[in-house]
Amino acid sequence: MTRRSVILLSLYITAIAAVTASGSGFGRAIETVMPRVVKLYGLGAGLQEGYGSGVIVSKDGLVLTVYALLIDARHLRAVTSDGTEHEVNVVHRDPKRQLALLKLMPGGSSTETQPAREPDVYPYFDLSHESPLRPGDWVLAAGNPFKVAAGAEPMSVVHGVFSARTRLDARRRLKDYPYRGEVLVIDAITSNPGAPGGALVNLDGELVGMIGRQVVSNLTHTHFNHAVPRDVLHRYFLEATGLEADNTGVSLPETDRSLTSPETTASPIDPGIRLSRFGYRRVLPFVDRIIPGSPADRAGVRKNDLILSVNGRNVSDAASYDAGIKELAPGEPIDLVIRRNRNVLAIRVDTSTP
Amino acid sequence: MSKRRKTIRPRTKAAVRITLPLTVVLAVVGVWSVSLGAQPVPPKDDAYGLMRATQQTFHDVSDAIRPYLVRIDTVGGSQPRALRTPAGDENTPDPPRRSQSPFQDTTGSNFVLADGPATGIAYSLDGYIITSSFNFVREPVLISVTLPDGRRLAADLVARDQVRKIAILKVEATDLTLPSWLDVTDVRVGQWAIALGLGFGGETPSVTVGVVSALDRMQTGAIQTDAKLSPANYGGPLCDIHGHIIGICVPMAQRPGELAGIEMYDSGVGFALPKHRVDEIVAVLKTGRSFYRGWLGIVIDPTIRDAVAIRNVAIPSPVHEAGIKPGDRILQANGKPLRHFGDLVRVLYMLPAGEEIVLQVESGGSEFHTVVTLARNTELGPLPDLEEPFDPSNPLPAPEDK
Repeated sequence: MTRRSVILLSLYITAIAAVTASGSGFGRAIETVMPRVVKLYGLGAGLQEGYGSGVIVSKDGLVLTVYALLIDARHLRAVTSDGTEHEVNVVHRDPKRQLALLKLMPGGSSTETQPAREPDVYPYFDLSHESPLRPGDWVLAAGNPFKVAAGAEPMSVVHGVFSARTRLDARRRLKDYPYRGEVLVIDAITSNPGAPGGALVNLDGELVGMIGRQVVSNLTHTHFNHAVPRDVLHRYFLEATGLEADNTGVSLPETDRSLTSPETTASPIDPGIRLSRFGYRRVLPFVDRIIPGSPADRAGVRKNDLILSVNGRNVSDAASYDAGIKELAPGEPIDLVIRRNRNVLAIRVDTSTP
Repeated sequence: MSKRRKTIRPRTKAAVRITLPLTVVLAVVGVWSVSLGAQPVPPKDDAYGLMRATQQTFHDVSDAIRPYLVRIDTVGGSQPRALRTPAGDENTPDPPRRSQSPFQDTTGSNFVLADGPATGIAYSLDGYIITSSFNFVREPVLISVTLPDGRRLAADLVARDQVRKIAILKVEATDLTLPSWLDVTDVRVGQWAIALGLGFGGETPSVTVGVVSALDRMQTGAIQTDAKLSPANYGGPLCDIHGHIIGICVPMAQRPGELAGIEMYDSGVGFALPKHRVDEIVAVLKTGRSFYRGWLGIVIDPTIRDAVAIRNVAIPSPVHEAGIKPGDRILQANGKPLRHFGDLVRVLYMLPAGEEIVLQVESGGSEFHTVVTLARNTELGPLPDLEEPFDPSNPLPAPEDK
């Protein structure tokens, strides 16, 4: 082969590399996401799937996934993109946020023809990397719905747009879903069985969230496909790995761990509003009286005001008002919308001093 | 070396077709533009650049339309109950009582309604807001509206169309800004369709994206889209990529009922009403008149197949006044031939009370045309007793054995 043709060939290869990156709109997102997601296999029971997906979040093989029965399997395994099967240890579980942190154990046995990976080095998503995201952005979800992919087969990708960021108020089957934080709503079917725990990335392949479990929204009463935002994952990751340093990877009983979660330490606060609770039917949340000198009194809430919403969440009766107040952390301001005669007013109640 | 070439070559058909030097030039240009970070109009083969540009367009549409969206919050009201027609329910142990009207409005769905906020669109400068009647099925005690500038106002429900699922609200405001609507003649199947809603709360509208799937649907000129529509954006706009509104998103199904179609949320089959249809409906709603389901006042004989045979006629009823009697057969409705009861339902489900319908009827061997004005169920009289009482526990004779 002449020297000239060698030069041409090397340029030709460069051209091909450029074409593959831009040849498909999601090309670079797919190239980034594929080696950073794992297939999980464990124990299923009843309606619970015995398989799922996870996202690698550190170079030594820490994996984030959703909290599901699968995690409690005696023999939990993960398969990385090259087909290597790993034993998996559960580092931390958080039933409140419905998240779990796993660790891929080195020395995985290859189920495919590829040689086993060098231990302790994995491609991963850096959870501290922020990327702007707004409704209308293209997103790509990579997971293993219906365990279609096996071994080294690439995960299934689903594309759609990011629709909205909203506070999750949802239920799963007949029970309220414990996670009440913010989620990303996606306009594609991303939460099929097996897909939760997978990665949600933007056009550039940056991690924006992790596919959440299928839930029914209490706001719209529709099933919706959501992802746990990256910042929530990052906060969880920092907390969970902080604990890991003390316990060298041995997971504590659930109850001990959940006590350390800041959400559960919140105690009820009293803004000083007493609602009218007469009647045997559902009663609208009218203010019956205000404790003098209470935060609500100082903020200007008055008798006979009708409370329409608490921190953006509509209230329709005394019970839903109580529920809205109960979720607040001590000292957190309460944004009330009230109706007084024909006027609708927004009032912020400062609860930092009783 | 040659082996390597072979494995790479089939991956890009374009590179094979273009001569080698040209490929080199393209590669150099590509690297140069990336290193500069400049993002001019992307070349046609730059799929990534095109997607970025499209994504930016979705943001622009959302920003352009946001000033015309209002958030609607409702308080109070109870869950509507899905009423069952007595004859259709085999589990009812007692036969239906005579006093009970067989002409009952159904909600059309067992969908459980939630308390979440809803979306509306500014419609006129003098404070009218259009939204979907879906948001008021619970008969809320109070309605408040948040304008794009943050003002929260109490709103009155002026009237609603339970058939086309449109409602109008009135607020005390004289300075609403109004969006630009796309004429339905300019809407094309396959064009981008972006649905916006405020049902998830917050200030930024939710965005779902699809295309226009079909035009002139559901007997009422509705535009069909595969953008995900749900309670999060019913009452909100379906937009084109230039920031014009194509239609207002409403639930619809091929059967009557206030909630019919809700269960099709996020299915990829959604509907939006274009401006000219909205204008026609709102002109009536503004007078305070609501639209209700239209009824003929007939009971169809279920034992006769392949024809719409009338078993009984309410007195009074539109059909009774037109001289149609039990035993007659309806051959056509609004020019559409009827082979089955379902065909008649499909003609009727989008027609409100007060609307006219042309029926072709066969009576005693002769045929005639008649124009009937549909009535509300409350305007229908009782059904006269038949010689052979209808037995609801055995509505159909057993099929003959062959």
